[in-house]
Amino acid sequence: MSNPAKRQTTALDKALRFGLYAMLIAMAAVYLAPFIVMLLTSLKDVEEIRTGTLLSLPGSIDFSAWSKAWSGACTGSQCEGMAPYFFNSFKIVIPAVAISTLLGAINGYVISHWKFRGSDFFFAALLVGCFIPFQVILLPMARTLGWLGIANTTAGLVMVHVVYGVAFTTLFFRNFYQAIPVELVKAARLDGAGFFTIFYRIILPVSTPIIVVTVIWQFTQIWNDFLFGVAFSGFDTQPVTVALNNLVNTSFGGKEYNVDMAAAIIAALPTLLVYVLAGKYFVRGLTAGAVKG
Amino acid sequence: MASLVIENVKKRYGQTEILKGIDISIEAGEFLILVGPSGCGKSTLMNSIAGLEDVSEGRILIGDQDVTFSSPKDRDIAMVFQSYALYPNMTVAENISFGLEMRKVPKDEREAEVQRVADMLQIGHLLKRKPAQLSGGQRQRVAMGRALARRPKMYLFDEPLSNLDAKLRVEMRTEIKKLHQKLGTTIVYVTHDQIEAMTLADRIAVMKDGEVQQLGTPQEIYDNPTNLFVAGFMGSPAMNFIPAKVVEHSGSYALELQATQPTLVPFPSADSLKAYAGKEILLGLRPEMITEPQPHKEGAEFVVKADIDVEVIEPMGADTMVLTRISDAEVNCRCNPAYPAKANETIAMMFDTSKAVAFDKDTGQRIDN
Ligand SMILES: Nc1ncnc2c1ncn2[C@@H]1O[C@H](COP(=O)(O)OP(=O)(O)OP(=O)(O)O)[C@@H](O)[C@H]1O
Ligand SMILES: [Mg+2]
Repeated sequence: MSNPAKRQTTALDKALRFGLYAMLIAMAAVYLAPFIVMLLTSLKDVEEIRTGTLLSLPGSIDFSAWSKAWSGACTGSQCEGMAPYFFNSFKIVIPAVAISTLLGAINGYVISHWKFRGSDFFFAALLVGCFIPFQVILLPMARTLGWLGIANTTAGLVMVHVVYGVAFTTLFFRNFYQAIPVELVKAARLDGAGFFTIFYRIILPVSTPIIVVTVIWQFTQIWNDFLFGVAFSGFDTQPVTVALNNLVNTSFGGKEYNVDMAAAIIAALPTLLVYVLAGKYFVRGLTAGAVKG
Repeated sequence: MASLVIENVKKRYGQTEILKGIDISIEAGEFLILVGPSGCGKSTLMNSIAGLEDVSEGRILIGDQDVTFSSPKDRDIAMVFQSYALYPNMTVAENISFGLEMRKVPKDEREAEVQRVADMLQIGHLLKRKPAQLSGGQRQRVAMGRALARRPKMYLFDEPLSNLDAKLRVEMRTEIKKLHQKLGTTIVYVTHDQIEAMTLADRIAVMKDGEVQQLGTPQEIYDNPTNLFVAGFMGSPAMNFIPAKVVEHSGSYALELQATQPTLVPFPSADSLKAYAGKEILLGLRPEMITEPQPHKEGAEFVVKADIDVEVIEPMGADTMVLTRISDAEVNCRCNPAYPAKANETIAMMFDTSKAVAFDKDTGQRIDN
């Protein structure tokens, strides 16, 4: 009696499951298509690109576009490829991520465990910072950088990113630290530990998940930033995104799509790598709840 | 070792007043127990003593030093938190020695101390574990260990034994008592356990709604409660409250109860009942004062025999609790298990009112002292 019914539901189950997978694969394909096109195009030569279709495979695998994009393509009047700008980006991103993460951690620690008069207001004000569009702070920031004497420098860009990012990092850390019982800090204070000792010995060691989340978030944001880069960088401090834009817009003779594509992939590689390496922790960190102890 | 003076301490969170003027003063080396219903402000008071919460008003003195505005570190207090508050990233051993490390105790001394405390609390085999790998009772013992590793001026224990099994709890209780006798450190201790309160305390403070109802020795609290709340809170089963009418009786006053028959019982300080003549009061009588008739007490001054209607029998081993109804109030009597009381029968009981107390029905305050 129950068997046919059961068989029916399994058949239905199978169909549903099939549909589900079909949909997932289709969606994955849609998301992957641009990247596949970029990759294929970067491996073709200019002739093949002109004659073939977007998705046709390259006749022979040819990395010359990649080496040109890396070290020979012209970005404006300079013809040194993406390499110098790639390193420029690292020079901006690494300190900016490190400083904004550290500041966010300390801010979050203070807001959730060392409440002071007005700390809630302070936090609310900081939250507003998350909603301020980039464009709004361009002019005031330009003035500030000029006034500080760090306009068009790497230090200047680092500062812009730290200032803009600290609202987000503080929010991340504050929410995470909110779940750490206040008694933990109280116990440590009675044990005789001070502000920084508690932070360093007790709070930081349990912060790994949120540090990973924040670092990934900040890294991606800052690496991918174009607006601040184009507005505040000097001639030789341009980040990779700005260089990519210049490379694509500079053409002598025919458009070299293969070089453009290779350059675009190069520009995207670090963020891609960060996700592949730490994506697991990212998801885990976002969903990590209370620190039980 | 230091005395503790809490003077008119108030604590407000926004508009709500959690502590409404606490006054407690204990000598150096005394063992003070705080009891009171959940949410009455015991933990808040502990936090205030430790300096973890700023008080809104009042003063706190440790030794003869005003510490109202001192930082927790400078008060030299060790505390066991109700929620344990173990450092999740540290092992048990590291948890215990952290406070010593912060106070710059040399490493070998720290290790010896950890070992000593671990032996005392029977957690030697857990020293390398992290708190997440411990049971609730084990965590609680580690929390104890963290406090006991230090030699502070004062210990604060917030329900330190609440999660232990019965046997371990008794052992730990004895251990704490021994420790107190040995070190003589001032201790403030919160508990919901009647026996813990009675056995450990030099003095008990009974709290309710952010106020101290009574501060006294365990015996004072037990024998001489200042109001209905304290009387009902301490003692298990609780004191019986029997509505009774104050009547004139041979030149003085006595109390009339409705057992099986209307019964007249004498009252020790009968004159204090004068103002209530003809009115109803609440007679407070502990269960052990209503027993089977005992020949050696027969004819004593405040002893009366009367029949009661037995409702329920609860054998407890050493005693048998007999539940009855007197003047329409439920009443517990503590009898010898050999006494042949049976449910739904009428049997004679002996009422000893020599330690009875009387309360105003409306205000709940004591009227006989
Ligand atoms: N940070 C806070 N903000 C507002 N109210 C609080 C805060 N902390 C505690 N309270 C309130 O203060 C009251 C007393 O809390 P407390 O923790 O001192 O109770 P307790 O006597 O220790 O209770 P228990 O026996 O359950 O541990 C409670 O009503 C509680 O809700
Ligand atoms: Mg409490």
